[in-house]
Amino acid sequence: MKKLIALIALLFLTTTAFAQITGSAHDFSSESWNSSGEICITCHTPHDAMTGYEPLWNHEVTASTFTLYSSSTLDATLGQPDGPSKLCLSCHDGTVALDNFGGTTTGTSFITGDALIGTDLSNDHPVSFTYDASLATTDGGLNDPTTTSSGLGGMIDADMLYSNKMQCASCHDVHNGAGIDNLLVKSNASSALCLTCHNK
Amino acid sequence: MVKSKLFYAVIIISIAFNLSLNGQNLSSTVHNLSVSGPGSIKATSETELCVFCHTPHNSSPRAPLWNKSDPGVSYTLYNSSTSEAAIGQPDGASILCLSCHDGTIALGSVLSKTTDIGFNSGVTTMPAGESNLSTDLSDDHPISFIYNSTLAFNDGQLNDPSALPQYITLENGKLQCTSCHDPHKNDFGNFLVEDNQFSALCLACHDKTNWDISSHKTSNATWNGSGVDPWPKSDYTTVAENACESCHAPHNAAHSQRLLNYSKDEDNCIVCHNGNVASKDIQSELVKPYSHDVYSYDQLHDPSESGTITTKHVECQDCHNPHQVNNITASAPAASGYIEGVSGVSTTGTAVNPVQYQYELCYKCHADSPDKPSSPTYRQIEQNNVRLEFDVNNPSYHPIEAAGVNQNVRSLISPYTESSIIFCTDCHASNETGAPKGPHGSIYPQILKYNYVRVDGTSESSQTYELCYQCHDRNIVNGAGRFAGRIHRRHIIVDKVSCNTCHDPHGISSSQGNSTNNTHLINFDLSVVSPYNGRLEFVDQGSYRGSCYLKCHGKTHNPKSY
Repeated sequence: MKKLIALIALLFLTTTAFAQITGSAHDFSSESWNSSGEICITCHTPHDAMTGYEPLWNHEVTASTFTLYSSSTLDATLGQPDGPSKLCLSCHDGTVALDNFGGTTTGTSFITGDALIGTDLSNDHPVSFTYDASLATTDGGLNDPTTTSSGLGGMIDADMLYSNKMQCASCHDVHNGAGIDNLLVKSNASSALCLTCHNK
Repeated sequence: MVKSKLFYAVIIISIAFNLSLNGQNLSSTVHNLSVSGPGSIKATSETELCVFCHTPHNSSPRAPLWNKSDPGVSYTLYNSSTSEAAIGQPDGASILCLSCHDGTIALGSVLSKTTDIGFNSGVTTMPAGESNLSTDLSDDHPISFIYNSTLAFNDGQLNDPSALPQYITLENGKLQCTSCHDPHKNDFGNFLVEDNQFSALCLACHDKTNWDISSHKTSNATWNGSGVDPWPKSDYTTVAENACESCHAPHNAAHSQRLLNYSKDEDNCIVCHNGNVASKDIQSELVKPYSHDVYSYDQLHDPSESGTITTKHVECQDCHNPHQVNNITASAPAASGYIEGVSGVSTTGTAVNPVQYQYELCYKCHADSPDKPSSPTYRQIEQNNVRLEFDVNNPSYHPIEAAGVNQNVRSLISPYTESSIIFCTDCHASNETGAPKGPHGSIYPQILKYNYVRVDGTSESSQTYELCYQCHDRNIVNGAGRFAGRIHRRHIIVDKVSCNTCHDPHGISSSQGNSTNNTHLINFDLSVVSPYNGRLEFVDQGSYRGSCYLKCHGKTHNPKSY
């Protein structure tokens, strides 16, 4: 029992300790294009948020039409990015300036490097598709999200899906809650994140 | 507090259990190249499993989120005279497999990492061995070709792809590595998508004519443990279970064309037909002094060759179709199961496939082919084309194609009658009782089944003309009476003349002989018989009557009549 408690403590320490947005890749408080010096403001505002977007959205939203992933072995029905994914892409597709927040539309700083996903999503893991028990059955290589544990406390559908859809946020925690490289929601050691859904 | 700890413990254990379950399939296979992999080829420290092939972002090719470079090499493709498929350079899923399995790209070289993932024992690219296909794919089952109804129709021995079982998938209509292999799952060995016992996977596509009746499908024979293991890569123990792979190898085949296990044609057969698997030992027949010597030729046989063989050779596959061969017997002249599904030449000299009659198979080489064996006897009428020798319009012939001309052959031993038809293999076959049927080999020249002495001056015995005496009663042939006594007994026993001196056992072509001089298979051996006064002939004078004009043993026949 002591060993077990120690194991639990270790797991909590390694996965939750010191995880925060401050100092993470999404901490833009020191960026030249963010004169406010605030962290949250680039995405959120407590008042006068943009209508039609959650949560309290404060950044210009992309109007791009995206090239979607396609594969002969894909059973999911993919649509244009929606929900939280569209918000991520409002910086990561490279069409909207990073500094187009708080009503500004004349920003000049754009995302670069590995973080630039672009509007061609065909070489990226698909997002914005319904991932339910039916898809898992049809595909044969996916776990049932309604009965499979996410490893985050509950089932996949509750912990990782948004309106039953797989989104960027299924894998990534934009606020760095887990403190893992690439802002992953959980460690991908032993491909544990991939294998949460993929049953290979 | 205690309850709370227990609660978390239960959750964490269930999570851990669930994760291990999720990873069970791939993680327990050698495609788990991570540090936790079960194989000898694995990373020194990388824990991720998927990363060796997949990346969630910036993949290439895009689907299926591939994480390795295209090898960018030109592959040597499979090529076969009997393949109807348009085989192109590997594409689709196959090129992904080859990004490790062609041995050109380091296993740890992935797009998502700037430095290669390190591997144990200094392994970089795929080590030499079964898994390394190399860039020479000519010895591997073809891939990246369109498999559609047209191909199935043109080939004639492929199932229509609409009838494929669900476990075989085509990618955009093409057969790819992934049609047979599931890289994520290794339930059946070699990552096959289905158990290949009885070659079920092969036969999902390949529909070989008459395979269902083939002995190679139905035989439960096993290896007796002597000599070479016929199935070194297989756990299956019977011919039926190994089926296609008794002869063929889908990868790294020793002989590329038709993907055979051995580079020499006959070795593919003899590895079993040497008494170690098959009940009959063909090998010991083939090494006899007179044989259809398959060892003397190499890579000359081609299943698509013309009916009449133009380049002299003989291989097991010339006379046997391993996909159709069976032990169904037949009555002369019909072809038996042993030669089911082989090509030949008809009585009129045209190619037939398959043969209907046994002699059609023999005519493939012994009729119109150049370089065919010549007669061992120097005769008055020379003819080496046995098709012409056995023609039913001839003045006389042994009854191979149809019953003979002579309707009064008193010497015939029951069950033979004047209306009997015999096989070529009734005379040409193994000299041993109980040996495998057919003309594989014999201690007697011309691969004869029994002794047959051609040499003039040999004392007659039951052994001297043992071959003839199988059908023709020795006592009647050499008996008393006007014909037997004066003609056969006098010549064969008293003067020690061989049957072969006066008789041409195959027959005399109507294009050379006639029904006056060449009835009763008369065609003299010129090494014994010579003309007298320019005349060398037998004249048929009716039933059991004839006259001879010739000189033999210094004696003049001018004529001698009976």
